[in-house]
Amino acid sequence: MDKTMLEKIFSDAIEREIESFEFYQTVSQRVTNQDVKRTFEELAQEELGHKALLTRFREDPDLLTKINIPSQDYKVAEATELPKFDINMKPADAIALAMKKEEEAVKFYRGMAAISQDEEIKKQFEYLAGMELGHKTRLENVFVEIGYPEVF
Amino acid sequence: MTNSIRELEDAKVIFVIGSNTTEAHPVISYYIKRAVKKGAILIVNDPRRIDLVKWATMYVQHKPGTDIPYINGLINEIFKNGWEDKKYLAEHTENPDEIREWVKDYPVEKASEICGVPVETMKKVAEILGKAEVANVCYTLGITEHICGTDNVKTLANLQMVLGNIGSYAGGLNPLRGQNNVQGACDMGALPNVYQTYQAVDNPAVREKFEQAWGVTGLPDKPGYMKPTMLHKALTGGTKILYCVGDNPVQTDPHMANTIKEIEALEFFVCVDIFPNLTTPYADVILPDCAWGEVDGTFTNTERRVQMVRKALEPPGDARPHWWVLQELAKRINGYDLGFTSAEAVFEDMRKTSTSYAGITYERIQDIGLQWPCPTLEHPGTPLLHTSGNFTRGRGLFHHTVHIPPAELPDDEYPFYLSTGRRLWHYHSATQTRHSVGLEEIFPEELMEISPVDAERLGIKTGDTVQATSRRGEITLKAWVTDRSAPGVCWCAFHFVEACGNVLTIDRFDPVTETAEYKVCAIKIEKVKDGTEPVSWAARQARP
Repeated sequence: MDKTMLEKIFSDAIEREIESFEFYQTVSQRVTNQDVKRTFEELAQEELGHKALLTRFREDPDLLTKINIPSQDYKVAEATELPKFDINMKPADAIALAMKKEEEAVKFYRGMAAISQDEEIKKQFEYLAGMELGHKTRLENVFVEIGYPEVF
Repeated sequence: MTNSIRELEDAKVIFVIGSNTTEAHPVISYYIKRAVKKGAILIVNDPRRIDLVKWATMYVQHKPGTDIPYINGLINEIFKNGWEDKKYLAEHTENPDEIREWVKDYPVEKASEICGVPVETMKKVAEILGKAEVANVCYTLGITEHICGTDNVKTLANLQMVLGNIGSYAGGLNPLRGQNNVQGACDMGALPNVYQTYQAVDNPAVREKFEQAWGVTGLPDKPGYMKPTMLHKALTGGTKILYCVGDNPVQTDPHMANTIKEIEALEFFVCVDIFPNLTTPYADVILPDCAWGEVDGTFTNTERRVQMVRKALEPPGDARPHWWVLQELAKRINGYDLGFTSAEAVFEDMRKTSTSYAGITYERIQDIGLQWPCPTLEHPGTPLLHTSGNFTRGRGLFHHTVHIPPAELPDDEYPFYLSTGRRLWHYHSATQTRHSVGLEEIFPEELMEISPVDAERLGIKTGDTVQATSRRGEITLKAWVTDRSAPGVCWCAFHFVEACGNVLTIDRFDPVTETAEYKVCAIKIEKVKDGTEPVSWAARQARP
């Protein structure tokens, strides 16, 4: 496998995490609800964690094979509408927005895997998709617990 | 329930308050008993010495209507001894410093004076709860059927957040909801302010969604009335027509004489039921309904589990499934055909416009039900809520609650508390259970439960006929002298038309939920005549 190509895959993935970090950091400063602010700040920190992880993968791609990939995809993000960003948005919308971003990331890497001719590169994209699926699943679990309140 | 029923048997500490679990939720009580057999500490808090007390490690008998000072006193003691879950408070709640200050108004000494629980008992309960790794709180109508029912629930939520017990396996805050499907009825939007799965009618986006889904326009943009308001407004012309399905309000609503007056003021009243009952004589039209074994459908139980029910018998006579009746009415009133052909078709229509039920289909629940939220067809359902420590609003918010005395307290003229509820052998207004020869044999008439102390003072023994009178009416029934009742507290059910507790109960309501204060009113008791035969069957009421 072309090592330069592999490095580029990880560098692009790292770039996506940096963009997400910047997005969450920016929106965290704009929202009014303190819980939503905290949620976005935590999500920003998580993206930094993902960036660090990907940096390690770039140095040692074999590590990527050891990540836990969820065995099930409950597709909650897919069934949820992308909420519009609003400075008054609620915690559930903040989580929904984040899980939709992870859904996009899963789709992106799966798409890249699908069009890759090189089997090794295809595998790396599939691992990255699996990693993002893990992030999506974690956020979906949070969303399910807060997104369907029994309020009447 | 935040948690699931089966978790109860793994609980280490169970705090039951305002729940006569063995009689009102006998199946759930088995899990509690199993937990006790496995070594769990069970604290039963109830103004009555209910049968579950036989299994309790501690029994706390507080005065009716004093739940808030009692629980706030416990919370204060928990803070005072540093037993609160500091990490949970810091990470998952918004205003822990406020609750710490608020409950200082209820030192155990003061709380004890109000609720009648000895100080040492309160301290012991606080210590058990405070030192428990996880405690499970179960409550029922003894908490909600007060004019301060909403605040009672909020106070219990405060307690469980202070202890960090929300989101923990075998912990949580667990209202044991009544009947087999009251959870399902609420989920389906049988409420004045929400569509199915709690989608608010006054939310323009929700309204637009349903108008599109159903191909209609002009859906209401503001909530309707709750049932008590509906009935009150009959007296002033605000409610002209009432369509009443599977309910017997004359017998089950408080202050029967007033309920009758309100129903008589309606211009047009329709009852839909399986048998004649105390309400049907007031109806202009009675439509025959199907019983539970005569229709397909789903029930959703208290742990949010949606379960299949299947038709086993053909309905008698002209009885039809109620979805069919409503569809025919829509056709005849404005020519609108809903187009449903089965209960499953109705469920599918609901599922596709719902949120938390979207992943539940008849096919998926053929064998075992699913617990909502279950938002997609791939989702396995949610047995335990708030595991991440998150709430819909973000962090948990403590509410300031203060003691609100019951609307009517005993006085010189009406010196006894009356509390009301359900018995093991009969169900609600007994429209169904009194048609069972066996149940009638086991428990054939209502009894007024009176404490041995009061009975001796009044010269009453079990089986004597007594008259119970409140400011709203009177009933005559046999007495049952039993230590289930504390001195000064009487109790009866509303299952029997011949002596219905709701002749006496007060029509005062919680301002948020409009739940009536069935649990407290004032009565007097007078002996009418000596009993001539033993009431040995009274003991069947209790089954340990």
